[in-house]
Amino acid sequence: MPLDTSAYNLALLRVDGRRWNELRRVHAQIRTQAAADGSSYLEMGHTKVMCVVTGPSEPGPRRGGAGAGGGGGSGGKDAEVAVSIVIAGFSSVDRKRHGKGDKRTLELQSTVSNALSASLHTHLFPHSQINISLHVLSQDGSLLAALINAATLACVDAGIPMTDYVAACTAGSTSTYAANDEAADPLLDLNHQEEQELPGLTVATLGNSDRVAVLVCESRVQVGRLEGMLAVGVDGCKQMREILDRVVREKGQRMIQEGTVERGVGLNDMDVD
Amino acid sequence: MPITILAPRPSRPINPPSDPRAAMPDSDSDSDSDSDSGGGGGGVGLDPTGDIPMFAAAARRSKHALLDTTTASHSDIVTPGEVITDDPQWMRGHGTFVSAATAAIVSSVAGTVARTNKLLSVRPLRARYTPEVGDLVVGRIVEVQAKRWRVDVGGTQLAALPLSAINLPGGILRKRTETDELQIRTFFAEGDLLIAEVQQLFGDGGAVLHTRSLKYGKLRNGVFVAVSGMGGGGGVVRSRRQVWTMDAANGAGQMDVVLGVNGYVWISKHVETPEGLVAENKGAGITNMEESVSTMMYSSQNDRIGVETMREIARLRGVVTALVENGLRVDEDMVVRGYHEAVEMAMMSAEGADDIYLGGERGRQLAAALTGV
Repeated sequence: MPLDTSAYNLALLRVDGRRWNELRRVHAQIRTQAAADGSSYLEMGHTKVMCVVTGPSEPGPRRGGAGAGGGGGSGGKDAEVAVSIVIAGFSSVDRKRHGKGDKRTLELQSTVSNALSASLHTHLFPHSQINISLHVLSQDGSLLAALINAATLACVDAGIPMTDYVAACTAGSTSTYAANDEAADPLLDLNHQEEQELPGLTVATLGNSDRVAVLVCESRVQVGRLEGMLAVGVDGCKQMREILDRVVREKGQRMIQEGTVERGVGLNDMDVD
Repeated sequence: MPITILAPRPSRPINPPSDPRAAMPDSDSDSDSDSDSGGGGGGVGLDPTGDIPMFAAAARRSKHALLDTTTASHSDIVTPGEVITDDPQWMRGHGTFVSAATAAIVSSVAGTVARTNKLLSVRPLRARYTPEVGDLVVGRIVEVQAKRWRVDVGGTQLAALPLSAINLPGGILRKRTETDELQIRTFFAEGDLLIAEVQQLFGDGGAVLHTRSLKYGKLRNGVFVAVSGMGGGGGVVRSRRQVWTMDAANGAGQMDVVLGVNGYVWISKHVETPEGLVAENKGAGITNMEESVSTMMYSSQNDRIGVETMREIARLRGVVTALVENGLRVDEDMVVRGYHEAVEMAMMSAEGADDIYLGGERGRQLAAALTGV
């Protein structure tokens, strides 16, 4: 058994040396592709994801057919969020081909699409489409969380109005379902190895609030442990939001220093008549 | 061949100010002065080891935010979900929304706060072009319909160009006929580039264009560059003059430059414009002149362009892309100065005037020369 649970009990350290409430190293960049409307690159540990956002724009005949998520005509009142996910063959340890119609990929696509359309102000862009294309370069657990975070960053970079960041994170529990251990600690941000062994869930919240935008649990877990896992996951989402926010602010400050963007006005020094 | 061995770089630290970029020393001094004014230790932002857990960094960030709200620093960036104010005296503008629960004005994009009297809006760091009436735009026809064209102007929706909003051959004052409708592709076909003005806006943000002036119409004899436009984040800015003719160096005649507000730029060889003709034969009736120019107005055939003119057009294109790459604004002053600088740089180089490459290091050199003065 790769995850030696007895070792966890001794030192309270996980296989990669983290404590139960620690995130992996997160590294993120925005505006990685100059030609795109919005783009981002995100690493959560060894999970590496790249995202490019095109739009909002009108899906015209020049764009060559409907996108992956675009089923019907986009003549609706709200912009349609079309997500396409490409999982590179070299991204995981076992080289696997993920076809276009892969059920797992389709589910990831619709989850990301639903999560973002809840936050994006799609009503401002009628008859248009927001294309989010995500590329998974390397997988080491928490894939859905990384995809959501990368897509959020790219949408911020594209200047698409949104209610708040959608920040996502995973949470797990230190013992298996079969062990039926009520005293098991919750874990934050599972890596691939932990994801294989232990029950886990992905949670995404809307900004700093406790409003859950996504909650995906694909493993069996006792309901008594769920609350702890969820609490830890929501807390992780808040940390994640801070990290994403910092990336955006740094980029903004740099643009102001370079003179690309005009400085803003503070509210306090405004002369109010 | 000599081999250069680079010294190993420290692994990328997590805390912000250690990004190894030229612009960053400024940010260091900024954050220092901030924390000084807040009474904290001077070197908070300067930890070269970068071995700080993310939580500490996050905590510092929130402390920073607190400082910022109290000192109201001018360079404040607001990000989605950030409360700008909960004072009810302000009105919300673009880039903001009112949260249902607290009735506070909250930013919905990442950008800088702008204020017009009591109206608060957020200018995004970057966004797609949003049309406004009177904007001069360069667009590309993507679709031909029965009585109108759909034009890509880089906005969130395609703009419409009705058949009735163009100069029909045979005089401005002619009425649109069914024959014109049948021949719609002879005026503009898919892929044609044109210069137009935004005439009208729909409630949903769609725009209607018109080319009812001799200044507007089909574009030829040149090259198209797409940079970012008025959406934000540098690129083309609205200015007094968006279209001008300038002298090309090295005896290459003259060039026309069109900076569309939407970030689409057109650089072409200068040909005698219809206005020039108007000026020449002022005595003649305007209708006669109209007829004479209208025959060539919708031609898609390029004129003969000399090699040196092509070279100078390419050089000017390089200047525009270099300006954008280095985060400088694109307007007449910058482009003209940048072009002269580029000509000088080419003179210095070994290849002489044929050296038109302005990417990478040379682009930075150009930008430095422009911002230095």
